[in-house]
Amino acid sequence: MSTETGSAGVKRRDFLKVLGATGAASTLVGCTSEDVGRLIPYVVNPDNTVPQVSNYFATVCREGLEPVGVLAEVRDGRVIKLEGNPQHPANRGALSARGQSAVQGLYNPDRYRAPMVRQGTGFVATTWDKALARLSQELGRARSQGTAANAAFINQHELGSFPAFLDQWLTGLGMPAHLAYDAEAPLATMAAHRAAYGTAWPRLDFNAARLVVSFGADFLDGWGASTAHQVDWADARAKLETAPRMIYVGPRRSLTGLNADEWIAARAGSEIAILNMLNGTATAAQTAQAAGVPQQTLERLAQEVTAAGSGLLVLAGSTDATAQEVAAAAAALNRRAGAVGTTIRPEQGIGAYDRLNSYADLRGLVERMNAGQVPIAMVRGANPVHTTPTALGFKAAFAKVPFKVSFSSYPDETTELCDLILPDHHPLEAWGDAEAGPGLLALQQATMEPVFDTRQTADVLIALARADQTTAARYPVRTYREWLMGRSGGEAAWTAALPRGITNGSALAASAPTRAAVQLRPAQAIPAPSGDQMTVVVYPSPVLGDGRGANKPWLQELPDPVSKVCWQSWVEIHPSTAKRMGIERGDHVTIETPAGKFTAPAYLYLGIRPDTVAVALGQGHTAYGRYAKGIGANAFVLLPSGEDAAGGLVLTAGNGRVTKPGEHSPLVSTEGSARQHGRGIGQAVLVGELGTLSAPEVRARQESGGGGSHASGDENVGGVAPQGNAGPAAAGGATEEHGGAAEIPGEPSIAFLPGLRSPVANDAQGEYGDPTSKDKGLYDPNHPTGMAKRRWAMTIDLARCTGCSACVTACYSENNLPTVGAPWQGRALAPGVWDERPGANILKGREMNWIRLERYFEGAEDAENTFDPNFDTRFVPMLCQHCGNAPCEPVCPVYATYHSPDGLNVQVYNRCVGTRYCSNNCPYKVRYFNWFGYGEPERRQYAWPEPMHWQLNPDVTVRGKGVMEKCTFCVQRIREAENRAKLENRELQGDEFTVACAQACPSRAITFGDAADPSWSVAQLALDRRSYHVFAELNTYTAVVYLRKVIHPAQSAPATA
Amino acid sequence: MTKKRKWSVIPGFLALAAAATVLSAYSGASSSQGREPEQPVNFPHPKHAGPVAQGGLGMNCLYCHSAANKSPDPGMPAVNTCMGCHTVVLGKADSSKQQIAKLTAYYNKKLPVPWVRIHKVPDYVQFPHMRHVNAGVTCQSCHGQVQGMQRVYQASSLNMGWCINCHVNGYNAAEGHRLAGAPDSVIQAAAAQPARKARYDCAVCHY
Repeated sequence: MSTETGSAGVKRRDFLKVLGATGAASTLVGCTSEDVGRLIPYVVNPDNTVPQVSNYFATVCREGLEPVGVLAEVRDGRVIKLEGNPQHPANRGALSARGQSAVQGLYNPDRYRAPMVRQGTGFVATTWDKALARLSQELGRARSQGTAANAAFINQHELGSFPAFLDQWLTGLGMPAHLAYDAEAPLATMAAHRAAYGTAWPRLDFNAARLVVSFGADFLDGWGASTAHQVDWADARAKLETAPRMIYVGPRRSLTGLNADEWIAARAGSEIAILNMLNGTATAAQTAQAAGVPQQTLERLAQEVTAAGSGLLVLAGSTDATAQEVAAAAAALNRRAGAVGTTIRPEQGIGAYDRLNSYADLRGLVERMNAGQVPIAMVRGANPVHTTPTALGFKAAFAKVPFKVSFSSYPDETTELCDLILPDHHPLEAWGDAEAGPGLLALQQATMEPVFDTRQTADVLIALARADQTTAARYPVRTYREWLMGRSGGEAAWTAALPRGITNGSALAASAPTRAAVQLRPAQAIPAPSGDQMTVVVYPSPVLGDGRGANKPWLQELPDPVSKVCWQSWVEIHPSTAKRMGIERGDHVTIETPAGKFTAPAYLYLGIRPDTVAVALGQGHTAYGRYAKGIGANAFVLLPSGEDAAGGLVLTAGNGRVTKPGEHSPLVSTEGSARQHGRGIGQAVLVGELGTLSAPEVRARQESGGGGSHASGDENVGGVAPQGNAGPAAAGGATEEHGGAAEIPGEPSIAFLPGLRSPVANDAQGEYGDPTSKDKGLYDPNHPTGMAKRRWAMTIDLARCTGCSACVTACYSENNLPTVGAPWQGRALAPGVWDERPGANILKGREMNWIRLERYFEGAEDAENTFDPNFDTRFVPMLCQHCGNAPCEPVCPVYATYHSPDGLNVQVYNRCVGTRYCSNNCPYKVRYFNWFGYGEPERRQYAWPEPMHWQLNPDVTVRGKGVMEKCTFCVQRIREAENRAKLENRELQGDEFTVACAQACPSRAITFGDAADPSWSVAQLALDRRSYHVFAELNTYTAVVYLRKVIHPAQSAPATA
Repeated sequence: MTKKRKWSVIPGFLALAAAATVLSAYSGASSSQGREPEQPVNFPHPKHAGPVAQGGLGMNCLYCHSAANKSPDPGMPAVNTCMGCHTVVLGKADSSKQQIAKLTAYYNKKLPVPWVRIHKVPDYVQFPHMRHVNAGVTCQSCHGQVQGMQRVYQASSLNMGWCINCHVNGYNAAEGHRLAGAPDSVIQAAAAQPARKARYDCAVCHY
């Protein structure tokens, strides 16, 4: 046949041309760096900065009820991470997930970038001069008309001098004091504390406690100073034998409840009955009837409370109509037991929560707004349209105010109704102060230049006052910063105090909030549910709070510590109730109360009474930016506008009708299974059996010598540690020396690394590469670089871990992890058709979290048919175990994952071709794949819309599409520390640095370091008697050592686990 | 040739093309070695950093790139660092005057000089300058004899093989000093020292 033209196919010449061109193109594309961009220098060098070297500025984080001290890591003028300030007496270096997410508020892409003024139904940008002139004019008009005394200013609750400063400003202009609102604040508890102890928040000394009884007080997840509580609680629990036992009383087991050793599942609203019984004013029989719990449980509770003596710590945080009575009764019980002065330290308390208005005050304002009396309303920080019960009608009332100003930086529901927006600085851009403890003041300093054209509200107030002849004289300074300096002893003293962030002093004292002349409308007590009625418990989300966290993708993506659901709302319902009603996981459930209707998928939860359903606040925004809007449902619709005796908002208000509308949507959950199925991932030991545990070396010797059981995963069924010698095959197993055990296939004759075992690390180079070679390269401990002398390792103490998940967010922050659950990040279902469900990627199992918090339940196996409150929870932080004998390594066809000489399981992104074999072979499921180009700005799935990418850590590669990634043990921190030591011409010192998860952990459960060097704490902790390796039976020789949880059962009762 | 046989050569061509691509990638031909872009201001390194004997000022590299011995990033001089001298030094030749006037214009407008970047390693490579500088690696070892370049170009390939060569075989200090224009005594002293080797594990640079 001819090779000439005429055939319909490709001509040879053309084919060769194409081939040649392709080759040339790929040569050019290959590794070229033709377009490498520009090098932009400073115009004027800032002082004390070195490019690419971080500075740390001490400041104050205002994300929660309690302000904590933080250090902002600033690189080349931008904040890239927040860490706790070790000098701050409350958080002592730790930082919660919510606190760390403050940077995503700072760099939020939906922030207002300039002042805005209403035009028709929308807003247009304006200048600060025009905006301030407009506000001045409106304020002037109100004053000339004599209506200024009816103006309203709603501020977020905050500590520090600003509330008093604001009141002075308002008074100066003839306006009433401001209204500080926080839907999450436990007002009833504070009122009772003030009455009983003389301070709103005494220090709770868990260390002195023998028994902690919590009546719905979620002191680990949002109730009061929860970061400080967590640090203290973990330290107390780490005492093991002498640690306090915790009993949680309430209708639903919260995160704090899951940390309790025992749960008394009392009916909502019956807490007061139980406290009355403990105070001796009711009998156990009557109380058991009211609370719906067995009488002997209550009798035993009473015995334990008596036995605890002055080591008793009773906490009350219930949110029903009786909240204040409960808190007062708890305080009386503490006092009777002599606990005030031992477990409760009023003299070390923070009394500064006094400037907090009640929900009743806000209701008074709504009534006045509805009556058309309020000429001007100003809002800052608070978002009452979203965070008040819909039944209150705040939105309609607010709309009746003729002129509304918002100082919010975000397009929230309240701000969207306003006429003028004067966006405030983010706290990281602003100056301020906050009480840090008795006689101590934390200083808040601006850590970077403002991201957008915003102004600190305090500065705006000063500017307005100076422009007004009547008030100008009171404000001799131009900025709030100068005003603060004047209070703190001048510029020199202020500048000297800033680096520490803590100084002696006190904030400007606030007068007690003016109580609006409203009659309290106490809510009704909750009747026992009957028929299709169930008690409805509404609680603030531990992650999103009352909704203020919802615009931060880290928090949306962080699974709820209890339900493990993210990017979604859910209804908690007990499996037995669900079975009775024919509800399965993910089936929609509608709750109907007299106030409103709420529908969300069901989450079947062991830790809730069968006659109760629970929903979290936080979701269901109709505005508030791209990450919050349209996600989940708003639980505030269920609440009646009711108050407790302290005027606080009642969250557990009564019963509702629960129905099943017939729809289903899968839960966006990172939970594979809630059960361990005997795998022994999260192991525990009863406190009484601690003495039977032996150190790992002893265990190994017994194992090999005695020829006993070598199984390690199955002996832990039921969660109780083994009785004797059958500990897991742990670090330093001495099988060869003792010769008793069978040869493990694949185990080489030499172990290169000291410290924890890493026998097969040398398969990278040396024995397995070339059995005859004597050159072990970098794996030779005598190599001149000494790289093989270190063995990076980690211990995780499950007796300390509370499951709060701060470590997860810390990892996102440090390691440039993309969030993948936003509605626009899903995959294409067909060309041009996208899966736009929130969390679509997570539903496909494509989440990205290098460290995740596994939460397993033990016990209550037959929950489908019976209710059993006696179950134990195991929180297990799960991350790459950096196995010495890693299953992922030999299956990689391109050698992108291997074991480094210093003990890391390394993932080389630029070698990875994305076969995902490693992930398939990983028994811990800790490898995550980039299914989309999350790091590419032109892609739909881009995870850091401008200016969110300013937060990215410059030390860590942003991974590309098609690349596998996983925990690196913060290798960038290891290298940075090595570089620093080298610069200073010294060796690394023990515990001189740590990884991001360990740094943030408020319970100090994670310890990182060099296991080969005894000067690091981890080297000792790895040899603890409670140590075990997850899946040790797989001979993975992990570098992560877990220490068993310790369970404290009741003295007279069988184990709860 | 039959039609069947004609198409059977295609896999062969593909293999050849692949081989060519791989070879070119490893040969360094794909790097930007030799790239010599035009800069917004024609900064003459020989005048500033060149040896005094040849009419230069003999300034130390660290005078302007002041972070090279303490940070991963050597740093570019702020415009006011330039103006520290150039408010007084206005140039003799017309061409110099013109360039200094450009610099002054940037400064007066409070604008940075948008230098065109020449040396860049990919984002997945971490290159700590201070480790190299403090180990005694001269700037010229990697950047070439910048003190003699009227316009700076990329002297080395910056490919991985080029990096690894030093890390595994050791740094030739004598050659580094020679490139930096050190006196012979220094070069001879360096030649007597053993070559310094460095770590070459992947995770030393890639993370």
